[in-house]
Amino acid sequence: MRTMKLCFAAALSLGAFAAFAKSNWVIDPARTQIKFAVDAAGWPRTSGVFHKFDGRISVDFERPERSHVDFTVQTNSVDLGSASFDSFVRGVAMLDSDKFPTMSFTSNKVEKTSDKTVHVEGDLTMRGVTKPLGVDVDVRRVAGRLEFSAHAHLDRLGWDFNSGFPIISRDVEIDITSAAKET
Amino acid sequence: MIARWSPASILLHWASAVVIVALLAVGWSMSRLFDSATRFDLYQLHKSLGVLALALYLARLAARRLAKAPPPFPGPAWEMRAAHWTHFTLYALTGGAILAGWIAASSAPLPIPTIVFGLFPWPDIAPRDPTVFALASLAHAWAAYGLAGLVALHAGAALKHALWDRDGALRRMV
Repeated sequence: MRTMKLCFAAALSLGAFAAFAKSNWVIDPARTQIKFAVDAAGWPRTSGVFHKFDGRISVDFERPERSHVDFTVQTNSVDLGSASFDSFVRGVAMLDSDKFPTMSFTSNKVEKTSDKTVHVEGDLTMRGVTKPLGVDVDVRRVAGRLEFSAHAHLDRLGWDFNSGFPIISRDVEIDITSAAKET
Repeated sequence: MIARWSPASILLHWASAVVIVALLAVGWSMSRLFDSATRFDLYQLHKSLGVLALALYLARLAARRLAKAPPPFPGPAWEMRAAHWTHFTLYALTGGAILAGWIAASSAPLPIPTIVFGLFPWPDIAPRDPTVFALASLAHAWAAYGLAGLVALHAGAALKHALWDRDGALRRMV
């Protein structure tokens, strides 16, 4: 999520779009994939995706630092490739979707780090706990879309998300590829 | 005239045979093969089959008590002793494997519920404790390996009676 925001921010910050000044973009769900992976002792790597999410990006190409990203994921849309596994991960021991139906990221700082990359700092709220998270995002502008990809690691213990630790690793790998359409 | 087992015992024997062989196959492969999601499903299937095995086990003991077991099949003394020991140990290890598996599933550090065939939750019988889990898992594995060996011995002996001796011993259970 953060990655997406970052990507958007990065895209916004690209000098090439300076002429557009501030513009607003929304995530194109058909071109977006939010993947995660977690390791566990004595168990193969578990990876999954979230199917339901929503994201908005406001980009100021002239002043990238004024760009902003908001991203929200519906936690009950988690998909690990097994219905019974999904219901366990949605349950109280893991994401606790009934109590915490969404995870969200809101940027509070966007920094252009190169022609194709931005660094986005923001707050990630997961299981009701809000903590800062920074993500590097690759951004490309393709045929009227902003495409971005981000690869990040987060330490879930920072969000008091310690179920199964240390059997299940504290490190969660996140891979996001997305595209946004201008509104 | 061969003294046969009761129809209920015969039915329960073969149903148990299918479930136990499936449990051994799923149990061995689920911790060695397959991706994470498939493994999760196989663990649920294994636990569901374990509950079914427990129901069949109790039903078999009840059927054996209600309709008397036929007298032992006659043969050399060593063979009768071996058969008696094998049958007793088959019961003991089946019951032990089921109980140890239930304790292991109950005490596992991760509170993964057992939903029997996706239909209803199954209760825990032990505290979530890593030491209990480690001991129960070890006992479960050794009971299962022992059971696999005895199942092979038992099936081999039945086939030997049916194909080599042709003495009607297998007829008692079909």
